[in-house]
Amino acid sequence: MSGEYHDDEHEHQSAWGPHDWSHGAPHNSWAPIIMSIGVGIFLYTVASVYSWGEMVDPASIPLVLLGLIITFFGLLIWWRQDASFDGVYEPRATGTPFQNIQIRKVAMWMFLMSEMMVFTSLFSTYMRYRLGLTPCTEIYESGSWIVNSQTISSGEAVNCFLPASELIASSWFHIAPGAINTFALIISSFTIVQALRWAKKPVGTVDEEVRRKRVYRYLGSTWILAIMFLTLKMVEWFIGFYIPEIPFLGIQEHDIMSLVNEGYTIHADHYHPHHGWDDVHLAELAAANPDQFSEYFANIALLEGEYETTDAIMMADIRVSASTFFVTTGTHGAHVFIGIIGLTYMTWKAWIGGYTPQNAVSIEYFGLYWHFVDLVWVLVFPFFYLY
Amino acid sequence: MSEHKIFGQDIYWVNFIGLMVLTAIEVVAVGSEFSKAMTLFILVGIAIPKFIMIAAIFMHLWGDKDSKILTLTALFPTFFIIVMVLFIGLTHPDATTGLPEWCRPGYYKL
Repeated sequence: MSGEYHDDEHEHQSAWGPHDWSHGAPHNSWAPIIMSIGVGIFLYTVASVYSWGEMVDPASIPLVLLGLIITFFGLLIWWRQDASFDGVYEPRATGTPFQNIQIRKVAMWMFLMSEMMVFTSLFSTYMRYRLGLTPCTEIYESGSWIVNSQTISSGEAVNCFLPASELIASSWFHIAPGAINTFALIISSFTIVQALRWAKKPVGTVDEEVRRKRVYRYLGSTWILAIMFLTLKMVEWFIGFYIPEIPFLGIQEHDIMSLVNEGYTIHADHYHPHHGWDDVHLAELAAANPDQFSEYFANIALLEGEYETTDAIMMADIRVSASTFFVTTGTHGAHVFIGIIGLTYMTWKAWIGGYTPQNAVSIEYFGLYWHFVDLVWVLVFPFFYLY
Repeated sequence: MSEHKIFGQDIYWVNFIGLMVLTAIEVVAVGSEFSKAMTLFILVGIAIPKFIMIAAIFMHLWGDKDSKILTLTALFPTFFIIVMVLFIGLTHPDATTGLPEWCRPGYYKL
């Protein structure tokens, strides 16, 4: 079967039952349509069940489950039809512009095109809000929040943009999980191409046991790095970590709080920033730039030539800032999770010696997806974490 | 692609080292006391080559016999990406407060 083209012009395989791959690539299946319907019902109904973390429409839950069941049913049909596919037979496109290129490779690129659109919409949203809303630090330093009584005591909040990088890039320890994750993804991109390289080595040029070990070790390494990525993501979002005292570096014992524990959440309509956005710093700023702060002079008392604080603490509504951050990085994290599912199967397959030069292209196709995940992170990391 | 060499070294290895170095520069630049504009300039200046290095070498959009058509395929959404970035991302600075109520966050109570 390997490498041969089979004329399946007269084959009429079932759109429901197992496909006969020995007669070439099948063209008919209900599975994608069923899964699309299931996912559509799920997404449409799940959005109406919760609002800001509270269940508002329990009546929609059966429909949510129905959507999941239909999706699972579609997956089951897909699996049943393709269970006999060993990845060796590789159908190629016959028409322009993709003539003689593997159909699955073209399909993967089409899929990645749609993924580009998804992430571009998330980036556009982020840019729009970041440029459209006044930065919280700018409002803080202007002092206008004191004039408008947008303080912790009044309960009024300023509608402003606070990028997550204000917290994440505030110290080396805060940056560490994201930076380590960046390196982890780059290393994993390297390990996946090495797995492909060893799987593709022609028979006879490498010992088969060496091939098996190299491929599963490289795929296994990629799997471990992906797990590490999501673990550090959880640490960064929810858990935080402890820094012991390191005397020779002058580092005191302290905790690095997670974003959620800092109060950086999608519900934070009255956020009290952890950097001490009270008017202590504002008084210092005012003392250094008296002309700039003359407008607010009456609100910050002058005491013996120095500015005195009013003990006011600015409150900020950061729901939009946190939402754009968590939705974008969460969507990327979901892609990593899906990659882990694929890698689990591929590592197992490599472990049992399932990869040969004839079917190594499946590592290449998965690699395209994985590199795309890395590619997105190359943009997410600087613009959501660092800037 | 895997048989290509850069500076006499394996192409994947050189690409990998290059990406690691660029990422390290990125992190150090943020930790340094540069202005916001300079930091943004450095981050964009590093993100672009990193993006190209991953796409061209790891994703085989350079050096393979089908690279050209697949690169064109990958670039196809560029038009829509430009439309989204220019006409959604960079327009109407006060749109978040100036837009009609029905297209602001929270209106549909979702």
